Formats: sequence, C-alpha cells, structure tokens
Amino acid sequence: MSLLDDPRATFADLTRPEGWVLGVSVAFALFLLVAMLTGALGPTYFLFLVGLAGMYALLSFGLNAQWGFTGLINFSVAAFFGIGAYGSALMTASSSPIAGGFNPLVGLVVALVVALVLALLIGIPTLRLRTDYLAIASLGLAEVVRLVVLNERWLTNGSAGVRGIPGFFQGWPVLSTFPEAMPGLRLVVIPGSPIILGTSFWQSLLNVLLVLAFAGVTFFVLRRAHQSPWGRVLRTIRSDEDLARALGKNTYSFKMQSFILGSLIMALAGVFYTHLNLYVGPGDLDPITTFYAWVAVILGGSGSNRGALFGGIVIVTIREGTRFLNDVALPIDPAPMRLLLIGVVIVAVMRYRPQGVLPPQRELIWPSAVDGRATPETPDSGVRERKGGGGDE
Amino acid sequence: MSEGALPKQDPVLRVDDLQKSFGGLAATDHATFGVERGTITGLIGPNGAGKSTLFNLISGFYEPDGGTVEVNGTDVTGMEPYQVADHGLIRTFQTPRKLEGMTVREAMLVGPRKQPGESFLTLFASPGSVSESESANLAEAERILEEFEIDHLATQPATDISGGQMKLVELARAMLAEPEVLLLDEPVAGVNPTLAKKLKDQIRRLNEQGTTFLLIEHDMEFVMDLADPIVVLDQGHVLTEGTPEGVRNDDRVIDAYLGGGT
Ligand SMILES: Nc1ncnc2c1ncn2[C@@H]1O[C@H](COP(=O)(O)OP(=O)(O)O)[C@@H](O)[C@H]1O
Ligand SMILES: [Mg+2]
Repeated sequence: MSLLDDPRATFADLTRPEGWVLGVSVAFALFLLVAMLTGALGPTYFLFLVGLAGMYALLSFGLNAQWGFTGLINFSVAAFFGIGAYGSALMTASSSPIAGGFNPLVGLVVALVVALVLALLIGIPTLRLRTDYLAIASLGLAEVVRLVVLNERWLTNGSAGVRGIPGFFQGWPVLSTFPEAMPGLRLVVIPGSPIILGTSFWQSLLNVLLVLAFAGVTFFVLRRAHQSPWGRVLRTIRSDEDLARALGKNTYSFKMQSFILGSLIMALAGVFYTHLNLYVGPGDLDPITTFYAWVAVILGGSGSNRGALFGGIVIVTIREGTRFLNDVALPIDPAPMRLLLIGVVIVAVMRYRPQGVLPPQRELIWPSAVDGRATPETPDSGVRERKGGGGDE
Repeated sequence: MSEGALPKQDPVLRVDDLQKSFGGLAATDHATFGVERGTITGLIGPNGAGKSTLFNLISGFYEPDGGTVEVNGTDVTGMEPYQVADHGLIRTFQTPRKLEGMTVREAMLVGPRKQPGESFLTLFASPGSVSESESANLAEAERILEEFEIDHLATQPATDISGGQMKLVELARAMLAEPEVLLLDEPVAGVNPTLAKKLKDQIRRLNEQGTTFLLIEHDMEFVMDLADPIVVLDQGHVLTEGTPEGVRNDDRVIDAYLGGGT
C-alpha cells in the first residue's frame, strides 16, 4: 500500500521508530526552511548541503549493500570514493595530466569501470576466505590508493590535485547553459533581508537534481534487491554462510556481486563529488570518509536502506553544523567538536539502540508474492528488534 | 575394503575409501559405504567416531585427503558444497543454524534452489518471472509448514522459536531444496519427545514420497525404529552395516560403544 493510495493506513502502519524519525525529519526540514527564509541560511549553501547529504547517503548505501546486506567488512570506502572522484576528474578536467576534456558521462563510465576492476582485484583473493581477510586487505587497499594518488604525479598531479573540472552537465543540450540562462531572482520574505537567487543557485539546483537522481535510482535498485531472493541469499550469508552453502548457494559469487554493487555506488558518490566541488585532491581520500560511512550505516541500522539515508543526513548535519556553530556561537574548533559529537552519538546508539535507529522493520519478501496474504502485525517493533537486535546488528 | 560395504543395486550416494586427518588424528579412516536409493540409512557410532566429519566430506565442506564421493553416479569429490547440492544432495547441521532477522517463512524461502530471483539482473530484466516463482515458493513453503503442523509459526521471527521447532523448520526448508538424498545430522538431539515423534513421522512420510535419507542419530531407539540399514562408524572407519536387529546384537558394536569414543 502506498502513501498515495491510502495515507492514513500508511501512517498507522509505521512502527514507533519510523514515526519518530519522520517527525524529527519534518521538524528539521521546517527549521531549515525558516532559517532560509529569514536569511540565516543562504539558499545556495543550503543546496550545497543537500548535495553533500546525497553524497553521504550514496556512500552509506554502498556500504550498506556490502556490510548491511552481506556482512562484508570494507574499510576502503574512501578508496572507492576516491577512485570515482579521480576517475571522472582525470577524464574531464582541463588540467588533467592524462586524458582530460572528455564529456562527464565518459568520466562517469570510466570511473565505474576502474572501481569495478579494483573491486575484482581485492575481491577475488579475499572473498573465498573468512570475512576478516577482506577487512584487512581493504584497510591496506585504502592506503595504497591514497599513496598512489599522492605520489604518482604523472597520473594524478600529486598533492596539487586536479582543477578545472567542469560541471556534470557540461556539454549537454539545454542543461549546460541552464544556470546562465535563468534570470536572477530576488525574493523578499522578511523586509530588509532579501533572498537572491543567481547563477550559482541554479547551478547548485542542477547538482541537487543530479544527486537526487543518483541516490533515488540507487535507493530503488537496492530496495528491490533487498526484498528479492537475491537479497535473501545475502542475508543468509550474513547470518550463517555455511547454511547458504549447504542449501546450494554459490556464496562466493553472491559475495562478489554484493561487493561490486557496493563499490560501484561508492564510486558514484565520488563522481558526484567531483562535479560538485570542481576540485579533487589527495585529501579527499583520507580515511575519515570511510569512518563517516561506517558511522552512518551503524547509526541508521545495518541492512536498512532508509537507515543508511538517515545516517548520511545525520553525518552532514554534524559535519556542517559544527562549522556553523563555530562561526556563530561557540568559538570551538569544529574538527574535534565533530569527532566528539560523533563519539557521543555512537555511544548513545550502542547503549540505547544497538540495532541502529531504523533497522529493517518488516519481512523482506518480494512484494507481489505476499499481497493479500496474512502479514505479521508489526505495530510496535520490527522483526529484527524483538530479540533486542542481536549481537551483530 | 571395509566390511561395512554391502553391495548396492542403485546407490544414490557412494563413499569409497574416504580419508581425512586433522593433525595426527585420522577422523575418517578409509571409510567405504553406500546409500541405497529409497532407504532411510542410519549412521551411528560413539561420540567422536567421525560421523559429522564424514558429512562434511560428503557435502563438500571438507576436502578429503583421499578417496572418492559419488552422488547419483557422478564423482563429486573436491567439489564446492553448492555443486554437490546441484547433484541432489542436501545436508543439515548438528547445531541448528539461526537466521537472524528473518521470519520463519522467510527462512524457509532460502531453501528452493535455482530461483529466478537469485539472479540480480533478472530482478530488473524480468520481475514478472520473479513474482511468479516467489508466489509459488511461498505457497509451497506454507504447504510444507502446514504438513509439519507449524504453519502458525510462519510469521514469527525465526530466532524466537524453540530448538525443536527449529529442527522441524530446518527439515522443512531442506525439503524445499528438493534433494534426492538428504543428510540429517542428529535431527532430534535436544528435541522433546513429542516433537521427536513428529520429526520421525515426517521423515518417514517424506521417505515414502521418494526422498532418500542418511541420518546420524544418537538416540538409539529413534534410529533403530526409523532406519534400515544402519552403518556403524568407529574411529573413522566403517565397523559394520546391517539391519537394526543385526547391529544391535553385534558384539563389535557393543564393544565400540563401551570401550571406544566416549
Ligand atoms: N575441524 C576439525 N579440526 C580438528 N579436529 C576435528 C575437526 N572436526 C572434527 N575433528 C575431530 O575429529 C573427530 C571426529 O569428530 P566428529 O566427526 O565431530 O565426530 P562425531 O560427529 O562422530 O561425534 C573428533 O576427535 C574431533 O575432535
Ligand atoms: Mg557429530
């Protein structure tokens, strides 16, 4: 049943945590809207934040497809993100030491192909073994990729990074000139503090639409995959790989698919970042990105796509909120403040809700197969929660 | 060749001279036997005789040091478990395996092999075929749960049911994989007598419908009542094979249980 068919039943169907998250999200959105209307939050900056949130959501989706679905421990989120970012930057930028100048769509494809190759390179030797091997190998991979980017100047420009990156819609009909073609708007909501929407606003709007498209398609794909027999095999592997093997599943192949899928999504986040930021440097491969993605997935609830989305938004709020606080209220350096806040969030989640805020709440069976059958009543808590979440949630 | 190897007319499973050692310990010591199609064959032996190890070797979980395993006339030695399953052999485990975060019927749906929806591309290229097979599998899962008289558990979390019910679900799920031969490792260990009787009836019924069973069981009464023939394993090799009567009265078997393993 969808929101449009029967809104009241849809709301009545929400579990309590879902209701909470919905409420808090709406309140937060209203807060941002008010901040924007009063001029405290510039609309262009707001759109940049939305873009960033979309990017973190993509990273969390990618990690969720690996860890949340299958239990694969990947500590090289930053490497796949960096491959996506550098892949598209090196193909499209005017200052690229290698190819350069290609259409961003070419950059996108090349970035994904490189990420695929890298995923295979690390997956083939490790995925037949216990999960710890992937964890260790991926830790090494992240560092190797970072050092290569930093040191192979002929390929990556080294520490100078890559500049002169075009927007994603460069060279597209209509869209490439859309920001300039749009008129500058001047909205006055509160007298004395007008809101000005100029070229940069329209540019940011395009970026937001791009990331919404990326994240939307990814979400749709992951949701369908998660509810499918394919996703069920992954969940079985996460719980007990030997059981899946005994029932005739080629677990190596399934783990590889899950790993590749997640890696491609992370690279997609990197591609978007390149065309949002218009500059990439070795600093973008710092392990902090991996850390953020893990926090987002664990906070949101491992295995839950909505949880990953929620976690991604929380990360951006903390990241940018500390900067904002520093500017406006508290003269505290945002970097340690950020880590402190994230530490507090992790401790609170582990203490009060170890399964995460929004773990999968319902049975995952291909939807059209269960229509019209008895469904379990899940008003108060999800299937996964009755046991208190279990050790590894 | 060991004495246990009675000739078989139509063996669905053949184990020939199988060997496996862990360090210095020969857990499987030149074991040879067969499972005749249509039977419920029992596999007994004292604790540590190597029964579970033998299951792991047959189903591809362990690589044997020597010897061969044939399923349906195909040599499956050294194959991956999923390949052995493809040849019609499914096994369960001694300790029940829990599927965290699934309902009973979800856990059941892992059973059917070669589901169209297990291919990622099919999910998007042909969602209709996924719906079709998923509906059919769900109906089949619910039918089997009903036959096992545990359909009221269908939407319970799979981790919330009793150990005995878990064993029933495991058997039911294994049946969804449509095995020709099903290996059960201690199906009634830790199960209360009522459920054990239910399991026995189910195994017998499924056997009458055509599934061959090889089952390890410690509960002598259970196995003697259900299985024929019975293979006796001691210190990794086949001590003897025969009818429940014959095995019960065999001095070597009594010696093995009194003197050996435990
Ligand atoms: N993976 C293993 N590593 C080392 N020793 C093992 C392993 N599996 C089984 N063994 C040993 O092999 C012997 C047979 O074990 P097992 O097959 O479990 O016996 P059973 O199922 O008949 O009780 C035991 O001595 C056991 O300790
Ligand atoms: Mg055993």
